Amino acid sequence: MKQKVLVFMSIPFLIWLFIFKYLPLWGWTIAFQDFKPAQSLLKQEWVGLKHFKFLFQDEHFLQVMRNTLAMSFINLVLGFVTAITLAILLNELRKVMFKRTVQTISYLPHFISWVVAASIISNALATDGGIVNELLMWLGIIKEPILWLGEGKYFWGILGLSEVWKNVGWNTIIYLAAMTSIDPAQYEAAEIDGANRFQRIRNITLPGLKPVIIILLIMNIGNLLESGFEPQYLLGNGMNVDYSENLDIFVLKYGIQMGNFSLSIAAGMFKTVVSFILLFSANHIAKRLGEDRLF
Amino acid sequence: MGKKRFWLSCLTMVLLLSMLSACSGSKESGQEKNKDQSSGDSKEKVTFTYFNAATGRDKNTNETRIGKIFEDQTGVNFKMEHLVGDENTKVGTFIASNNYPDVIVPGGSIDKLLGAGAFIPLNDLIDKYGPNIKRVYEPYYNLMKAEDGNIYFLPLSAVVGDYISAPDIEQGAFWIQRRVLKEAGYPKIKTFDEYLNLIRDYVKKHADENLTGYLALTTQDKFFSFTNAPMHLAGYPNDGGVIIDMKTHVANDYADDDYTKRYLQELNKLNAEGLFDKSSFVDNYDQYLAKVASGKVLGFFDYKWQVGQSMANLREAARKSGNDDLEYLALPIVYDANIKDQYLDPPSFVNNRGVGISVSAKDPVRIIKFFDNLLTDENQILSNWGIKGETYMVDDKGRFYRTAEQVAETSSESFRETFGFKYFEYSWPRYGSGSSLPDGNSVGASRQPEVAQMSYSEGDKKLLEAYGAKSFSGLFSDPDDRPWYPAWSIQIEQGSPAQIFTQKKGDLQRKYFPKMVLAAPSEFEGLWQEYVKEFNKLDVKGYEDLITKEVAKKIAIVQGKK
Repeated sequence: MKQKVLVFMSIPFLIWLFIFKYLPLWGWTIAFQDFKPAQSLLKQEWVGLKHFKFLFQDEHFLQVMRNTLAMSFINLVLGFVTAITLAILLNELRKVMFKRTVQTISYLPHFISWVVAASIISNALATDGGIVNELLMWLGIIKEPILWLGEGKYFWGILGLSEVWKNVGWNTIIYLAAMTSIDPAQYEAAEIDGANRFQRIRNITLPGLKPVIIILLIMNIGNLLESGFEPQYLLGNGMNVDYSENLDIFVLKYGIQMGNFSLSIAAGMFKTVVSFILLFSANHIAKRLGEDRLF
Repeated sequence: MGKKRFWLSCLTMVLLLSMLSACSGSKESGQEKNKDQSSGDSKEKVTFTYFNAATGRDKNTNETRIGKIFEDQTGVNFKMEHLVGDENTKVGTFIASNNYPDVIVPGGSIDKLLGAGAFIPLNDLIDKYGPNIKRVYEPYYNLMKAEDGNIYFLPLSAVVGDYISAPDIEQGAFWIQRRVLKEAGYPKIKTFDEYLNLIRDYVKKHADENLTGYLALTTQDKFFSFTNAPMHLAGYPNDGGVIIDMKTHVANDYADDDYTKRYLQELNKLNAEGLFDKSSFVDNYDQYLAKVASGKVLGFFDYKWQVGQSMANLREAARKSGNDDLEYLALPIVYDANIKDQYLDPPSFVNNRGVGISVSAKDPVRIIKFFDNLLTDENQILSNWGIKGETYMVDDKGRFYRTAEQVAETSSESFRETFGFKYFEYSWPRYGSGSSLPDGNSVGASRQPEVAQMSYSEGDKKLLEAYGAKSFSGLFSDPDDRPWYPAWSIQIEQGSPAQIFTQKKGDLQRKYFPKMVLAAPSEFEGLWQEYVKEFNKLDVKGYEDLITKEVAKKIAIVQGKK
């Protein structure tokens, strides 16, 4: 009973967890009812799987799922690659002033709200005087301004780049922190052995980062159905709706805006179950491969 | 050891219980409080909370000139809170916590509040304490009653006295820049073709000026600005997604009719000629407003209250420079010369917006008395005209008017806030727009012909003279009598098939309309067929039947009353 004090100290947090994370699960029953607000959960009308049926039988649902997964996947891959690359580049910099400046500039967009960011993006992509079209025309790559947000096929790309622009600096922070824990003696030894920069990156920095990368990857795979809501909602329009509408927007339109909270809960449950499966599979695979894992 | 554990579990229980009771305790207290506290004629000072689902600056009513006078009369002050962010979210929070402001003025979310039982019935309170409320609202009681026969909120559109129509266009119209008309020698135009040809000619003559011929507003929840235009072109007022036959009163969703097709096809032609701004379909609201305010756009269709900000900017610039070429004139454009335009709203009663007292209200009697006090002739004059000699004058025939200085002063936004016009002209129980006083003066200052005349610039007067009209709305036909108007205010049940239909229809149109407008003219017909096929898969019939039924119900109520 050496840990008695520690156990006691954790009790308030367990209570907190129970009240705020487990008690609300009771609300999942709403998914099986036609929920009317301001009445007790017990007085609601039970409708069985009606809302799940609506969700899965809607002809748009497959498209919405495809968009959600595709955008998530793009964000995941682009997010990892760009953040790790930038972190490694920053780590190689010796001029502290320059490094700090680059870092600050790159993570500032993270603090802009998506509402403002979407405005900036759609202004940059405008056909009359938008910087992207002007630049491409000046370079002679295109002759006519392109209606970037009006073509569905460009949407995923635009979204991916916007996410990178907004979050790359912020995402590097954790990798930079991980790099500081790598023993400098390793670099020195490698240098004495005649390893050049790229060899040092490949053989020391990247392996040093591996545990962080894998843990983050497992956690992010669990969130694969969360492709974000604001950028898609703010940049989406009728012309790119086939590519921009994701699960969250679908739920907003047919659930929350119509006061159909039951449908929203049903979709939320679906997301939770899928996330749960994905998280456990990713963790299991990591275990099988003998890598670090979440639990 | 055992003792310790015992105490610890006690502590845990206490913590748990206190948290649970904190969550559930607030429910009953609100309703009980108001029963035993029905204060009589006390003028004791009291402050209530008031929430308005419109944007604005939060303030106490007694910090405004008008509000201070009301406080002196009744002792009641309101702490006003306005909407920040999304209305449905805010209202959802109220409902979830079951803790409401004393008075709520919701917008489209009123159904949710009613469904949650957030408002108290007002019938008895009005009978006991509201002689003025009764006078103003009684003719509309049948339209105000919920299915259980109770009145839960007071709409803001009860017309008192003779109806006075607005001299300026407040609703939808086809707008055209004044320089286009000027250069063409102020031609009288009526049809859509004439309108578009005027724009074509102007752009041709000024090819190097980088002008936009025609612009549309399509962003998010403002998409109706785009889809409503065909209805107006066909000679109907704004009934929303349907047009109602004048004789049979049958509702028809015109989304698959020739009316809509013709509009899209004309825009398709314009686009092929490079006169339509393609960005219309991707721009957000701010970008749209900026484009209108830039003065580069020659024509567009929209409702004044959506584009008013940009027009006010243009007007201010015109006032300063003395050149109003970039300002817009509203025109009642229709498809064919034999169609009678119906852009002006018929006198109507909007019964799904209003102001209600919530179940959390501490003292509904004081509030209803305050409402009643607002509805005297004197206080309606105060709310709309202000103080005699300061913000308006009375001539020897008893007509109200404003001097040029007073017009300028009362139109300044900061003055309207400190004086209180901004808060009390609307969003409280009131004489509806178009009401008049027993002596014939208009209740709303801007509808008084003398005031409207005074606010016209030299350019305005010249323009009106060229078209032989006394006011801008004089260019439009008088509205026909439509007892059901407006059909858009018919309440559609949350999550019902009809509501899902309107959502799906919207999704479909958002996808196909831009495609059709931007396609090569040869592809238009194919796309239209495809769209109509998709459209007919939806439950149009069910929706139309529902609206037809509701329209008949409304007509019965209105005419049964007469």
